[in-house]
Amino acid sequence: MRALRTAALSVCLMGLPLLAQAATAAGAGHGDAHAEHSGLPTAAPQVLNIGPFAITNSMILTWVVAVVLILFAQFATRNLQAIPQGAQNFWEWLVESLHDFLEGIIGADLVKKTFWFFATLFIFILACNWFGLIPGVGSIGWGHPDAQGHLGHLSDPLFRGANADLNMTLAMSMVFFVFWTIWAFQANGAGGFFLHIFGPKGDTAGALKVLMIGVFLLVGLLEVVSILFRPVSLSFRLYGNVFAGENMLETMSMLSPTMGWLLAIPFYFMELLVGLVQALVFMLLTSVFTLLICQHDEEHAHAHGHATAKH
Amino acid sequence: MISDTAATFGVTWQLFISQVISFCIVAFLLHRFAYKPILTVLDERKQRIAESIANAEKIKQQLAEAEASRKETMQKANADALKLIEEARAAAARVQEQETQKAIAAAEQIIAKAREASQADYERMKQDLRREMGRLAVDIASRVTGKILTVDDQRRLADETNKQIAA
Repeated sequence: MRALRTAALSVCLMGLPLLAQAATAAGAGHGDAHAEHSGLPTAAPQVLNIGPFAITNSMILTWVVAVVLILFAQFATRNLQAIPQGAQNFWEWLVESLHDFLEGIIGADLVKKTFWFFATLFIFILACNWFGLIPGVGSIGWGHPDAQGHLGHLSDPLFRGANADLNMTLAMSMVFFVFWTIWAFQANGAGGFFLHIFGPKGDTAGALKVLMIGVFLLVGLLEVVSILFRPVSLSFRLYGNVFAGENMLETMSMLSPTMGWLLAIPFYFMELLVGLVQALVFMLLTSVFTLLICQHDEEHAHAHGHATAKH
Repeated sequence: MISDTAATFGVTWQLFISQVISFCIVAFLLHRFAYKPILTVLDERKQRIAESIANAEKIKQQLAEAEASRKETMQKANADALKLIEEARAAAARVQEQETQKAIAAAEQIIAKAREASQADYERMKQDLRREMGRLAVDIASRVTGKILTVDDQRRLADETNKQIAA
């Protein structure tokens, strides 16, 4: 019931940024973005080379965010006091709120095991999204002079929103996929895992039961497809929203040569909201996916009991 | 198709793995520096608060017990004092009664003695009067008759007078 409500909530939340995406698509135009120099390239440009390794500008921002987060966390907790103060208080508030929130969704047992992952997802995505809004991200960097020798367009900014790079969002989605599989096997066992996906649900008997087994095998196949597609949908949702947001901000500021700065301001507020909502949605969806595969209802617990007894 | 999409969005194995590693490092270090110590501290604080509440409860109970025992002592002391006062009052009443009785007895004795003494005086005076009257009668008789009365006459006269007086 709770999981259902949460899922419904996340669907509602996801609707909001989609509007933004639609608006951006209209604003950015469908022409060749690279050729017209309007809008962000879909791929993060490579700005540095360290040995054989290519460094993109979104990687640089990822590292900046990571270092800031880690240093801030360490600074806040290097001398923990019984009575919290300042940075410690902030981190305690953040961690406690997230912990209580997640506990309400996935339950006390699961949250103990998985809190580190979901909390990091939320904090890191939120930090990346909001860092990407700081002026200077996307507007400081290298450009190529055009035929007249004018330095008009910035082709390789130094920083780029970390989640405006599919590598980052796909990386988080795949890490989630791996841990989801691990947690699912830990909670259900190998037999239980497959029974959870393909096993018939509900009480049926006789011929109907045979039919149900067939139906639920097909349902299981669909389930497998949807599970395999989760990393794709998760990563493209976050990438799409952040990329669209950055694009929209750029479009708005370019729209008018004198008033562009003013036009972009309302959209900055919206991007703050989108950044928060997308971090929340990513965390909610991943946690609900985890809950769905790890939760046992009575009937299932019974079946699992048999499955583990056989092993 | 996948390689086309990957090329469009700039996804390469090297960049992807680098971001996976970055994310894992962030997760590990945040877990190490933030979640674990903070959740421990929060847990400890929760325990400490629970303990404090339990302690406060205990102290409250002890206080109530002390208050109750103090009340009881006070009540007992009060009752004792009342009993003492009552006893003293009773004792005083008893003593008063005794003293009164004693005084009454003494007064009655004194009155009786006085009555006896006055009775004795009265008797004595009566005898004196009788003797005087006898002597007077003899004297008068002798004077009237002008003769010396004999001892027998005198005794007879005195006796007669006495009888008359007595009558």
